[in-house]
Amino acid sequence: MAYVSMGEAHRRITEYLNRFCGAVSYQDSPMLCRLLSFSSNSPSLLSLADALNVFQDASILIRQSDKFSEYGEILAHLFRSLQSYRFGNLVEAYLAFEKFANAFVQEFRNWESAWALEALYVVCYEIRILAEKADKELTSNGKSPEKLKAAGSLLMKVFGVLAGKGPKRVGALYVTCQLFKTYFKLGTVNLCRSVIRSIETARIFDYEEFPRRDKVTYMYYTGRLEVFNENFPAADTKLSYALQHCNPKRERNIRMILKYLIPVKLSLGIIPKDELLQKYNLHEYMNVVQALRKGDLRLLRHALQEHEDRFLRSGVYLVLEKLELQVYQRLMKKIYIIQKLSDPARAHQLKLEVIAKALRWLEIDMDLDEVECIMTILIYKNLVKGYLAHKSKVVVLSKQDPFPKLNGKPVGS
Amino acid sequence: MWLRTIVVDTRHTRPLLTHHKTTQTRDIPITTVPTNNSSNQASHILSLLGRIKTQTNGGYQTTNYNNQSAGGYPSTNYSNQTNTPNQGNYTSTPYQNYTHDAANTHSSTVATTTTPVHYQQSYQQWPAYYGQTEVPCAPGTEKLPATSAVSQSFPVPGVTNETPASNGQPAPSYAQPWRQETDLSQPPSQQPAAAVSASNDAYWKHQTQNQQAHYPVPPQNHYQSPLETKPLYETPFQGHQRATYPQGMNSQSSVHQAPLGYRQPTQATPSVDTQRVSKIQIPTNPRIASNLPSGYTKMDKGSSAAGATQTPAYVSVSMPKPKVHATPVPEPGTLPKSLCGFVERAFARCKGDKEKASCQAALKKVITEASDDGTLHTRDWDTEPLSTVLNTDVTNTESSSTLISSLQNKSPTKRPKSRWEPLVEKPFVKSASTFSSGVKFGGWNQQNQNNKKSFESFQKADAVTDSKPTYSWQNSKPAYSWQNSAKKSFQRPVKRQRFSGGAATAIDDEASSDSDKDSTPSAMSFATSAEQTKRRDSRSKRFEKVQGHSRRNDIPRPNIANVGILHSRRGTALRLGEDFDESGCRSVEDIDWNALTVKGTCQEIEKRYFRLTSAPDPSAVRPEDVLEKALLMVQDSQKNYLYKCDQLKSIRQDLTVQRIHNHLTVKVYETHARLALEAGDLPEYNQCLSQLKILYADGIEGCSLEFAAYSLLYITLHSNNNRELLSSMSRLSKEAKKDEAVRHALSVRAAVTSGNYVMFFRLYKTAPNMNSFLMDLYVEKMRYKAVTVMSRSCRPTIPVSYLAQVLGFTNTSSEGSGEKETDSMEACSEWLKAHGASLIADSNGDMLLDTKVSTTNLFMPEPEDAVAHGDKNLDVNDFFTRTS
Repeated sequence: MAYVSMGEAHRRITEYLNRFCGAVSYQDSPMLCRLLSFSSNSPSLLSLADALNVFQDASILIRQSDKFSEYGEILAHLFRSLQSYRFGNLVEAYLAFEKFANAFVQEFRNWESAWALEALYVVCYEIRILAEKADKELTSNGKSPEKLKAAGSLLMKVFGVLAGKGPKRVGALYVTCQLFKTYFKLGTVNLCRSVIRSIETARIFDYEEFPRRDKVTYMYYTGRLEVFNENFPAADTKLSYALQHCNPKRERNIRMILKYLIPVKLSLGIIPKDELLQKYNLHEYMNVVQALRKGDLRLLRHALQEHEDRFLRSGVYLVLEKLELQVYQRLMKKIYIIQKLSDPARAHQLKLEVIAKALRWLEIDMDLDEVECIMTILIYKNLVKGYLAHKSKVVVLSKQDPFPKLNGKPVGS
Repeated sequence: MWLRTIVVDTRHTRPLLTHHKTTQTRDIPITTVPTNNSSNQASHILSLLGRIKTQTNGGYQTTNYNNQSAGGYPSTNYSNQTNTPNQGNYTSTPYQNYTHDAANTHSSTVATTTTPVHYQQSYQQWPAYYGQTEVPCAPGTEKLPATSAVSQSFPVPGVTNETPASNGQPAPSYAQPWRQETDLSQPPSQQPAAAVSASNDAYWKHQTQNQQAHYPVPPQNHYQSPLETKPLYETPFQGHQRATYPQGMNSQSSVHQAPLGYRQPTQATPSVDTQRVSKIQIPTNPRIASNLPSGYTKMDKGSSAAGATQTPAYVSVSMPKPKVHATPVPEPGTLPKSLCGFVERAFARCKGDKEKASCQAALKKVITEASDDGTLHTRDWDTEPLSTVLNTDVTNTESSSTLISSLQNKSPTKRPKSRWEPLVEKPFVKSASTFSSGVKFGGWNQQNQNNKKSFESFQKADAVTDSKPTYSWQNSKPAYSWQNSAKKSFQRPVKRQRFSGGAATAIDDEASSDSDKDSTPSAMSFATSAEQTKRRDSRSKRFEKVQGHSRRNDIPRPNIANVGILHSRRGTALRLGEDFDESGCRSVEDIDWNALTVKGTCQEIEKRYFRLTSAPDPSAVRPEDVLEKALLMVQDSQKNYLYKCDQLKSIRQDLTVQRIHNHLTVKVYETHARLALEAGDLPEYNQCLSQLKILYADGIEGCSLEFAAYSLLYITLHSNNNRELLSSMSRLSKEAKKDEAVRHALSVRAAVTSGNYVMFFRLYKTAPNMNSFLMDLYVEKMRYKAVTVMSRSCRPTIPVSYLAQVLGFTNTSSEGSGEKETDSMEACSEWLKAHGASLIADSNGDMLLDTKVSTTNLFMPEPEDAVAHGDKNLDVNDFFTRTS
């Protein structure tokens, strides 16, 4: 930390105060954003933080002028937070920032126009980021992380401020997205429901009116929620919307969307091209897709095992696991085609024995009972048309379209 | 009637008082500020304050504070009051002024101040407000009576110039130490209780604690107010303490009485000897006391240390002497306190003039007799039956007494016990309440025995007060109102507590409010049957005895004193906790739970489970080694699950209250969880599992893998929540996945999610540990799904023997005996029929499932054991068999 003289410190702080008040009085939102965004680590903020450390009691400066003292509470908390932030004391920084945010939101409520919406976004973003950092610090100290939760309730408050008639309501979706991020991180996804309900049912919101980036984010998260619920058609719609509307230059975002969209599409019977997987570096799905194409149950199981942690964490494990049935279907189709080549007349009769043998070649040991069980499930889920003759241990396939394609419909519908 | 009015009057003079106070002292009027709910009142006060030009700005600020929030207020006041050296002066000054005024120029004081006007105003305003609300004391009319009554008493002080001047001086000095102490005690983090060492100290603590429990009102409140407004109070307190504690049981009891009596009409007290007066303070203040729990006790200590020499100063300070003193009544000091209490009690039970008169006569007789035969000082007046002086036709005793005591806000019978209130407190509290019953105007009346005229006038005043303010005793009015206001200010905070206070407070308040409500009717209609009265009388006496008894036990015996310490510590901690809740800015974590932890002494191995409704009693809690034996006993027990569950729950409870978290805890929960699983008691199982998760997370070794498997199974089979399943799966470590039970659970999950019934029932048969018990609960569903799938997919038939084998009806490797096979066949076909499947017999007589027909007919039957309330364990018959 470079040495800062008292005079210099004084100058920097006063300059910041002037800028802040100027930004507020001229409703200069971009400037205000710059003044508030901690995580940008901008040099001006860092130097201000140093100055604050030298000039211990900045509140004197704030009180000096009416202009400053009007925002005295906001600024005092902000300074304290910045100071702690500079020292790396993130929990303190968070606590001060939370107070600042409260004061700021209070002030924001009084501003009639929505000019400061961007600045509010910055505050919402910063508080979430700070809370995450503070939680990390708490965890490393062996304490229970709780700041993100606190940030969540503060964001909920902000949502309440924005959710109403008037120009500020377009900000609601941004806050919603921050809430999603918070809740997903906390694992309290069910808390999203109330926000979603108010976004989707409240008349004051016109979805198309929201900024595009928020819409994309919102769709991404709600799509993920649908994946959890295994509501694949809905997940498909939402994630596809996100994919279509997101910034095509942001590959990372696209990849994030695809991470969920691909399993969803797969379970709807739509298989992506390898190029897509390669382009967005989604190699974990390579073998899964391959297994589906080949009907290679072993490959699927290996792929699942190999990336188990990753799939479990992202929450697509169960979705991918369900692809097994499609793999069986593919396998049966293969056997059927081979049989057709040798004996077209009896090709529609698949002996369980044969299927068991095929599985053994894949190093999967199953007795006839189990194979029969799988077959009944396939027939029941309409992946195979036909019936199973229990007595003769034969699957009798329908002569017409024995292996119907899913064509975008989920299995079992 | 007069009883009622008097009771009532305590409340509403406050504005006046404040005002008065301020004018006189030119000091912090603050204190008196009522925390009224009604903005009406508040604004009124403000206006009052505004009128008084002499006021200092301090008062204004505080007022505002009060209105705003409880949080900031107390501290501000506090610092102002306590820390400023001026304060000490202040207190003394007002007092001096006051005494002088009272003695000489009552009227002059009044005149100078704007009080009268305000008073009127307030008077008019109140009725409307209070008329609606049910507050018994509230009605504006009542307030007036108070004043009048006061006025009456006041003249008295004027007449008796005991030692006003001298009094004024000492008071301040006292006040100051006290305040400082309280100040110290104020910081919530501090635990006065903990500091205690000697048994004697313990007792003190105990006292404090009692007060706390009793008046859980956080110290913040208006605690201040009493002090400031009324220097008098301080002294009384000290005096009281001194007098009370050093003395023996009897004296104590009397002391308690006195306080209670004091509480109502202040006038009554003056007649009593000085010490008593001081004592009286306490009762008056039950609410006050609540406000200053910690400081209060401390003060006690200090005062007791100070020694008896200071007493006189206090005495004089505390109260203007009533006229009565001039009369031939025995010197206050010569009468035993208990006798005074007795007399007060007796009078409190008189409702009409006639009764009073007869009572007076009877009392006179009794006392003369006693003094004649020299038992005046030796007799135990506290236990003396009132029936000796009260005729049976003079009923109403209990009703009035309850009224009064209820006002004190703890009638023995009514007060619900707080869950956390330490047991030991009880006696003390009770005694206070009991004694309170009789007091009221007793002292006053007694004095009047010889001065009938004044007595009558007093009554007259009462009568008038109801409808219209009587200013017959105008001079004294300001003084009285002043006192009254002090009282009121004490009470106020408590009221306020109802909204914000912790549990204990709420309870207390409830009690008080209840009784308040009751009070009016009971006071009005005293016509309770004589029998009833007698019964009540005896009951209250019984209480007294019990209390005296228990107190005796408590104080001297060191080990009990220790318990007292423990309790008091807990009390303190709890109180602190409440305070935090109050202020809302501190969290529960700041409570020192260590102070609340019980150390058990019970040696019984077997103990039934009861849900705790009060603080755990160490004598009923088993220490760790006993609990270990208890666990073994349960494990080896041949009795049924319900017995074991009960025992285990009580073990768990003992572990919890002692905050034992170790291998034993884990063992107990594991045992219980297993038993619960075995019995299919999922709620209990879940409770145990959630505790186990916490314990395992704390690093306590146990069968964590076994229970990880259970929890996986539970999520898979019962909660059906994908996210939960995913997260619990992702939490499994590599080692965990190698564990047999966990692997089994994971396979079961795979089988369930894929609907692989064959796999499921194979796993069912090979389940390790108690996994199969959890699977049991899913078997029905799985079978139904399987049959649905099969009947849809298979054509034309499926032999039942195959179904029996695949759906787990056969026992493991049942090939051995054909008999068993037929049994399982039977079971399977029964099950199929019950679910609507259609069975046919083929040429060999083997049963077959007709799939095509069955497809459309399958249904899930209502479980046979289903009951309306969803828990068959709650079935009445079952309940009886369990309890028998």
